[in-house]
Amino acid sequence: MNEQEFRTCSVTGLKVHLPAEKLIKANTITAVIFIAIGGLAALGAAFTRWPAFHILPAEWFYRVLTAHGLDMLIVWVIFFEVAALYIGSAVLLNSRLAAPTVGWISYFLMLGGAVLTNIMVLSGKADVLFTSYPPLMAHPFYYTGIILFAVGALIGVFLFFATLYKARKEKTYTAQSFPLVTFGLFAAAAIATTTLLHGAGIYIPTLLWSLGLTGMDPSAYRLVWWALGHASQQINVCAMISIWYLIGALSVGMKPINEKLCRTAFVLYILFINVASEHHLLVDPVFSNAHKIWNTGYIMHLAVLASMIHALAVPAGMEVALRKQGYTKGLFEWFKMAPWGNPAFSGAILSIFMFGFLGGITGVTFGTEQINITAHNTWRITGHFHGTVVGGTTMAFMAVTYYILPLIFRREVWAMKLAKIQPWLFGVGITLVSGGMMLAGAYGVPRRHWDIVNFGGSPFAFSWDPTVYMWIGVFGIGAILAALGGIAYVVVTLGTVMYGKKLA
Amino acid sequence: MSDEHGNGRFVAPGTFVLALIFLITFIAVYFLNFKYLSTIWELH
Repeated sequence: MNEQEFRTCSVTGLKVHLPAEKLIKANTITAVIFIAIGGLAALGAAFTRWPAFHILPAEWFYRVLTAHGLDMLIVWVIFFEVAALYIGSAVLLNSRLAAPTVGWISYFLMLGGAVLTNIMVLSGKADVLFTSYPPLMAHPFYYTGIILFAVGALIGVFLFFATLYKARKEKTYTAQSFPLVTFGLFAAAAIATTTLLHGAGIYIPTLLWSLGLTGMDPSAYRLVWWALGHASQQINVCAMISIWYLIGALSVGMKPINEKLCRTAFVLYILFINVASEHHLLVDPVFSNAHKIWNTGYIMHLAVLASMIHALAVPAGMEVALRKQGYTKGLFEWFKMAPWGNPAFSGAILSIFMFGFLGGITGVTFGTEQINITAHNTWRITGHFHGTVVGGTTMAFMAVTYYILPLIFRREVWAMKLAKIQPWLFGVGITLVSGGMMLAGAYGVPRRHWDIVNFGGSPFAFSWDPTVYMWIGVFGIGAILAALGGIAYVVVTLGTVMYGKKLA
Repeated sequence: MSDEHGNGRFVAPGTFVLALIFLITFIAVYFLNFKYLSTIWELH
């Protein structure tokens, strides 16, 4: 091992491989730039869905909605996850990254793919929304961009596996098995492998179809696409939970109260989470009821069980750690005295609550076949996944950034006062967004329509119960707050990278 | 759990209460959704 390629972190004592550090920085910054683009698109979509403003014409609404979905659900999270994989392998295991050059190939493929896809969407050549269901067809470069991105991400995942192998072979860590955070990221990487292969399995035939070389079966597309579309969010879940454990350890000295159980829960994700994708197809006329009920009525709940285990294990671990620090009065002194001034901690707690109460409960409920009939294709579904992916995953990624900045970028967090309120602005905003969407959706407001008042002059237009407009107003206020929280995150992160005080 | 922390007591009572609140919320949301479904999809 060439010691000149390493530095020792003064806070954690971990050896940091410098070429890995450069890749972590590049992936993190790129993720932050894409959340800014996706956030701008979110504002365009929100102020159009809000009838009081309705700012964009129909074609631009669907264009920004496509960009918002792609940049937030795929580009931002996967760039950040690749950074997390390098932290979980090279940094946490005191190892060198197996092949930094391969890491840069992965990075540039992902970047090229993301830029190409965005250009196609914003130039109006891919108004197909995130799901891109056939017969909607985009320009072949749109699919090419996604394939490039997926291949790049897959290379990053394989580099993570190779680094784990190298660390084990070179005995760079003393424990018998990987730390829990690395184990959780391993689960994320395992799910990412099947997810990205499904992505290739569906986007390559779709590319050929867009070139006029083959036909396309829309039902086969839907089935395979959701093994990418939903499973990609399960990569997020594993990465998010790993980050909860990491933040717990760094902020309050938390240890898992039962590590074997936590590891088992990650294995449950690997085994059963992919079938949860089936809940997107509950009203699909092509698949049998037996198929739907087996996958979503039974098997899916084994993955839900995993989430329940983590949702109990993380706060319990924090409580035990804080009680050991002397906060033992009553049931909640530990909670009151927790380090709320640390934006990483407050962000992680908000992420746990939003993921559980907003996204988790509603996800399991809407994933029930009978209830799905009333919820499908309404704004309730959009409200649910803003609770999981934004309230849960994005909030957790934002929170851990407040540790990545000093530990990896070696910069003191710039504008700390703003950083402290950022999780609250974003968290309260997303709670209102998610709640407003779900409650308006309960009245039947459609998931994606550009104009819910006149339905574009359609003869099927009708009047909503006035309550709908109140809930849309709640959503709109939430969108403004969340946007302010998002802007604060981008400003603090980029500000720290450029102007933050250098640390040793 | 008790081995690692050196005693047989309930190590995280606050989290247990939070988990109960979560469970009650879960039951309420699930019930309300089925109740809502029953109003628009009646059995005859």
